[in-house]
Amino acid sequence: MQPDGKTPILELKDFSYTYLEGTPRASEAVRDVSFRVDRGERVGIVGATQSGKSTVVDSFAHLLRLKSGQVFYEGEDVAAPGYDRGRLRREVGIVFQQPDSQLIEDVVGADVAFGPTAAGLSASETRERVEESLNTLGLPYAEYRLRYVHALSGGQRRRVAIAGVLAMHTPVLVLDEPMAGLDPRGRRELLDLLIRLQRDRELTLIVCSASLTDASLLCDRFVVLDRGTVVMDGPVREVLREADSLAELDITLPETVVGAREMQKLFPGFPTELLTEEELESELLKRLETA
Amino acid sequence: MLELQRNVIFGQFVETGSFVHRMDARIKIIATFLFIVASFLVDDFPGFALVLPLLVLVQVVSRIPLGYLLRGSQFFLAFLVFILAFQILFYQGDVPESDYLWRWRFLSVSTGGLYTAGILASRVILLYYVTTMLMLTTSLVDLTNGLELIFGPLQRLRVPVNELVLVFVIAIKFVPIFIEEMERLARAQTARGVPFDEGGAITRARRIGRLLVPIFISGFARADTLTVAMNTRSYRGGRYRTKLRQMQASLSDWLVLALIAAWLVVAWMI
Repeated sequence: MQPDGKTPILELKDFSYTYLEGTPRASEAVRDVSFRVDRGERVGIVGATQSGKSTVVDSFAHLLRLKSGQVFYEGEDVAAPGYDRGRLRREVGIVFQQPDSQLIEDVVGADVAFGPTAAGLSASETRERVEESLNTLGLPYAEYRLRYVHALSGGQRRRVAIAGVLAMHTPVLVLDEPMAGLDPRGRRELLDLLIRLQRDRELTLIVCSASLTDASLLCDRFVVLDRGTVVMDGPVREVLREADSLAELDITLPETVVGAREMQKLFPGFPTELLTEEELESELLKRLETA
Repeated sequence: MLELQRNVIFGQFVETGSFVHRMDARIKIIATFLFIVASFLVDDFPGFALVLPLLVLVQVVSRIPLGYLLRGSQFFLAFLVFILAFQILFYQGDVPESDYLWRWRFLSVSTGGLYTAGILASRVILLYYVTTMLMLTTSLVDLTNGLELIFGPLQRLRVPVNELVLVFVIAIKFVPIFIEEMERLARAQTARGVPFDEGGAITRARRIGRLLVPIFISGFARADTLTVAMNTRSYRGGRYRTKLRQMQASLSDWLVLALIAAWLVVAWMI
């Protein structure tokens, strides 16, 4: 593969997956899903529950029994025999929907240090990474380092889980429903943090969600899944233009888009691809003036 | 990747719509009970050989794929082999010198040991098979209702039948939930650099040990949620509960039960 930056960092080619294949309890999760993610892109994978989002996420780090020729990282087939899965997992960091499942150690500092230590970093480097990650997430190192993980609140545990992945300095960061269970202020903070991190570290960011509220501010492109297949793939505004189809797929629309759809009743042809309240306001003023 | 659900099917329910599935749960529970009693009473190979065709019949009629059942019994069978090896090697019966096939210090293999181990294996396999089959072919609701109806009369003796059945059924049905949970945890930890899908059997087993604390925590959380949910819906057990769907055993159900009973008596007498 040519290192010209043209090779997508992640690519799915006709990815199909059936859980418990060959048993009476087999269930198909995704069928013929194809899309590519370029280096430094911010992609949202959106869809209602049971759309196959989590299966797609798990495939990125080879956490399923993958067949060969379907999932590629930097142009290489991750299911090829002899492929270094350890390296893949050190480069694709995943923050799962339930933070508890990925917390390994009992104490905050030790948990965040788990990844770097396992990757073979020295004690001083590890300490540096832990301190940096915890501070970044608003959990001051000195104060939280020795706190007991299971005694923290849900929002704090999610931050610890994210810190554990950030400490790995992965070029790809995948978050599955990162905003679930956070209060408005927590969401705002996490959103700002992710935008900043992505820019500073030139991360490839992939966000999974059933809601476009935060994803539309965080991503440049959406891949929309429905019952295991890709139904839309394009720039955020282009996808938001199809607001009616999105609503039919049980995907939560951003408030601005909900407002715009209401406006369509008054002003036929009112655009729905609006990301901010300012855009909605100016669009509305324009219509009011002409009316 | 770790796929425990393939390898442990204990407590799972697989709907195939077969005759066995449609049978009255009470009849199935009583039949299972008869099989269990038979597994203790039958004490020679001809007897077990006679039970076997009955099991084959159940297997075929139930339409549960045999391969699925066998793969899902791997851990059980491995454990059984382990136990039997001990049983044979440490057999302490009254063995005449001519019966020893192999001997080394206190370890030995004798025909007597092999025979006892064979009987034990037949017993345990029969027990495991019928209970697994009962769960594979009976839904949670039917199992609960069936057990409650069978033991219902004991309520007059102030035995908390309802509560006991509930605890029993929840315990069994939590097994597949825990297995699924373990898979999820293993996936998440693999993503963080604990390679569950690499290394030998012992290394893998050790890693599974790491999952125990989170499994217990989520287990308590789940039990707590269940309790709250039941309380908020004013659950109370006992004779105050009525049923929307009454169970009805058909003539064919009774005939099947009679057939099984007669067959097992013959196997015992032989």
